[in-house]
Amino acid sequence: MSGFLTLLKRELKSVTKEKTIMVAIIIQFFVASFSSVLLIGIMSFYDPESIGHSTQVRVDVGVVGNTDSPLLGFLKGKNLRVVSFYDVDDAEEAFRSGRVDTVVFIPESNNGVVDIKLVLPELDAMQTVILMLLQEPLERYENYLREINGVELRYKDLGGGPHTTYEFLYSLIIPILMLFPAFIAGSIVVDAIAEEFENKTFDTLQSAPVSVNGVFASKVLAAVIISALQCIMWAVLLRLNSLFIQNVGFVLLLSVIVAAFISIGAAIIALYFKDRERAQFTYSIVLVAAAGLSYFVDPSPFSLITRLATGDYYTSGYEVALYAIPLLIVGILCFTMSKKLLSTKS
Amino acid sequence: MFAIKSVLTISRREITRLRTRFTGRSSVVVLGILVICLVISYIIYHEAFVLSKGLYTVGVSPSGPVIADERFNVLTADPETGRTMLQNKTIDIYIDRDEAICTGDQRSQSAAGALKQYLEKQEVQRIASEYNTSQAFPLRVEINHLEGPASSPDMETHVSLSDILGLSETSTTTPPTPEPSGIPGDDLPTPSPQPGTSSTDAAVRQQLDDFESGNMLPKFKAEFVSDKEIIIPSLMNPPIPLAQVIMAFLYVVPILFVSVFFTSSFMEERTGRKLIILLSAPVTPLQIILGKILPYIGYSLIVIIAITLLLKGNVLLALAIFIPVMLFIMSIYLMVALTYRTFRDQTFFSVLAVGVITAYLVGPAMFTGVNDLSYISPLTLAVQMYRGESFGLTQYLLSTAPMYLIFLLALFVGRRIFNEEYLTRFRPLYAKFAEAVYLVINRNHLYISVFFLTLLLIPVVFMVQLSSIVIAFSLPFPFALGAMLMMSVIVEETAKSAGIAVLLNNNIGKSLKSILALSFVSALGFLLGEKLLLYLALFVITESMFTTAIFSTGLLVVPLIMHFICTSMVCLMTARFGTKWYPAAIIAGSVIHALYNLYIIGVIL
Repeated sequence: MSGFLTLLKRELKSVTKEKTIMVAIIIQFFVASFSSVLLIGIMSFYDPESIGHSTQVRVDVGVVGNTDSPLLGFLKGKNLRVVSFYDVDDAEEAFRSGRVDTVVFIPESNNGVVDIKLVLPELDAMQTVILMLLQEPLERYENYLREINGVELRYKDLGGGPHTTYEFLYSLIIPILMLFPAFIAGSIVVDAIAEEFENKTFDTLQSAPVSVNGVFASKVLAAVIISALQCIMWAVLLRLNSLFIQNVGFVLLLSVIVAAFISIGAAIIALYFKDRERAQFTYSIVLVAAAGLSYFVDPSPFSLITRLATGDYYTSGYEVALYAIPLLIVGILCFTMSKKLLSTKS
Repeated sequence: MFAIKSVLTISRREITRLRTRFTGRSSVVVLGILVICLVISYIIYHEAFVLSKGLYTVGVSPSGPVIADERFNVLTADPETGRTMLQNKTIDIYIDRDEAICTGDQRSQSAAGALKQYLEKQEVQRIASEYNTSQAFPLRVEINHLEGPASSPDMETHVSLSDILGLSETSTTTPPTPEPSGIPGDDLPTPSPQPGTSSTDAAVRQQLDDFESGNMLPKFKAEFVSDKEIIIPSLMNPPIPLAQVIMAFLYVVPILFVSVFFTSSFMEERTGRKLIILLSAPVTPLQIILGKILPYIGYSLIVIIAITLLLKGNVLLALAIFIPVMLFIMSIYLMVALTYRTFRDQTFFSVLAVGVITAYLVGPAMFTGVNDLSYISPLTLAVQMYRGESFGLTQYLLSTAPMYLIFLLALFVGRRIFNEEYLTRFRPLYAKFAEAVYLVINRNHLYISVFFLTLLLIPVVFMVQLSSIVIAFSLPFPFALGAMLMMSVIVEETAKSAGIAVLLNNNIGKSLKSILALSFVSALGFLLGEKLLLYLALFVITESMFTTAIFSTGLLVVPLIMHFICTSMVCLMTARFGTKWYPAAIIAGSVIHALYNLYIIGVIL
């Protein structure tokens, strides 16, 4: 036992000494911030509501044609101003001189169909903003026309808050933060084992008072401990940002189980190939394949974390406990195969 | 002739090495897993990937709507039980006929938002099937373009507004007559018993098909957006170029894998001391690097061509766009391979590199067409290619020139630091960097070296600054701004003084005069590089505000003085107190630089 502890300490030390863990944290931090920048960026550029809320953009809409159209009423809003023109040339002049940003031509209704023509400036950025701001009034006008046509539309006035950010945070960011340390743990195990092969230090270790399995177990355990620490750190950091993870204990337990599963799998791969180049490559594609396969499991580790973290009433520790079974299987597999894998040439 | 021959010899050796790595059993294993990966991604792609499976639980009254969305677990309950369940939080939202009841908490609110979006979509599909197209989608918007005030005035000969509106022949002083449509003589505004038809019906049906298939993922064809686009308000989607960005990113993934092989191979030979043996052969370091990188460039080219053929894109255009991307990725991995000694280091820096490369390429491309700054990523060009839009030479240069430059820079640096001592000695990271900088500087031409060193560091500075913006973004707002400002200033000061500090550390140029002269040269190099980058950006970004800001004379002389003062301060402090204090000196220089920046923005004074 003391031999095992010494080995474990050795492994932990080698990881911390190389400041690997710092890099690992930087990577995760980068991934998390990058995705939120992208999300918020996309939201503010592409979501008409946040364009209206977050910017002081005002669009002047020139209207030509049927200026009695009810569309004019819908168009008046916080970010829109309507200017009616009786003459197309006047509208063109106003558009070219920049007094209006866009021109809308409204014809008379033809069999209940209205074919509007919208004139946009050729500058790309402005185009998107104008279209986004016009979407809501146009939809309301569309529903108005539908009513005239005798089409009844239900669920027009359902309430509800923004959901994209919530879904994004709990079904993408938090699972990624909780599972990424596990991916890294697997990579650490591959490196640690391949290193022993390449430095030919396995023979020395075999003469130590620990079994071969003890050597692997110490490497796996060291990697799992490191990944658990990272998960705890993320939970604390998220809480500081007042983003709360419900069932925090179960979420952490699940991420430890996944980390252990991946690390043991990585150990088997490294034992099979015995050199870093092939083992790392195989590990990464196996990881991709396994992540893909897990999509077909219900609940997948990913969605289980989501449900636990959002405090889903119907999810509990039972599902987490189920995940201990595959871990046990792969553990036993590694335990019984290690000697054989070690002695085979690859 | 001889040079090319030795490069090819080394390449051939590299190919054999890679081939012998994966033979027999291991190649079967790897191929098997790759096939499984492909099959899985194919299945997931066709299953319509849902991320938030079973995220919400919704209670529906017996008379409520059918909800078939994987995000929702659906329970049927009568209104009374429904309300109790809502209070007990066993459901997130309850829907009874046309009314949805939710609580004030975030989970319930977003469930309501998601349900609203889902039901609205269902409604559009229902009316589309129950009514004819003209009744269900009575409003169509035709998009036209006209030069606005921002365009140059000599475009008078172009189309007029009345041309666009199809009114040229009619008098423009009276309110226009109803828009002529499809069937001649059918322009009576009274509803006819027969359903009316319009020339835009085809467009409606086309968009309805797209909408119903719910498929916003790539259509594996170059999507052509014509000038006269028809928009149907309730079928309108935000113009996020997600599909095209995914297509563009399809190129990057295999290139990343190929370059990981390149680094691994380089590392193996380095630790196995085979590179050192190669060095004693009659080949130059550059030939070794080129020879080893060439096969991987070849593989990447094959990948690029194969993917383009698969996606039915334009092969030549794709090559023009993705060759610089590939060279950029390769050069980053070359640097990773040359700098690190241990496997673990290399693994992590590879992952970090993947992260940064992805961020740099994908982030801007998501804003294709919205913001012209998106041209800093070549993927934007690829997005445009697959949208059937065109781009100009300046856009191409803005996004790809930094990548070509970084490749050349990496080759140059690689050539300079490629010696036995550097490759085999284990030293801390910062010492490795310092040594690399020292090896890059030509001691016979100190000033020119320092000038070009700083100038060439500009793309690196630019990228680090972009990344720091991303990282600072997750901090609370006032902190974020401060941190961003400080980080970018520190990066700049480090870039300007690094070369000089390394020289000082090696006891070169320690006199006051030479420190000042070197600082001036470095500041000049930095300013030139900075302005060059901005100038290139200006070709693309037409906002005139920038132009006046940059080329007003005050803003050329003053920054030079400022850069000079900060850099010379950092260097003088380093010379006086020793390199141990270099970080402190950088902080001091950065504070002054930051104060200057704040003054320019108008925050202080």
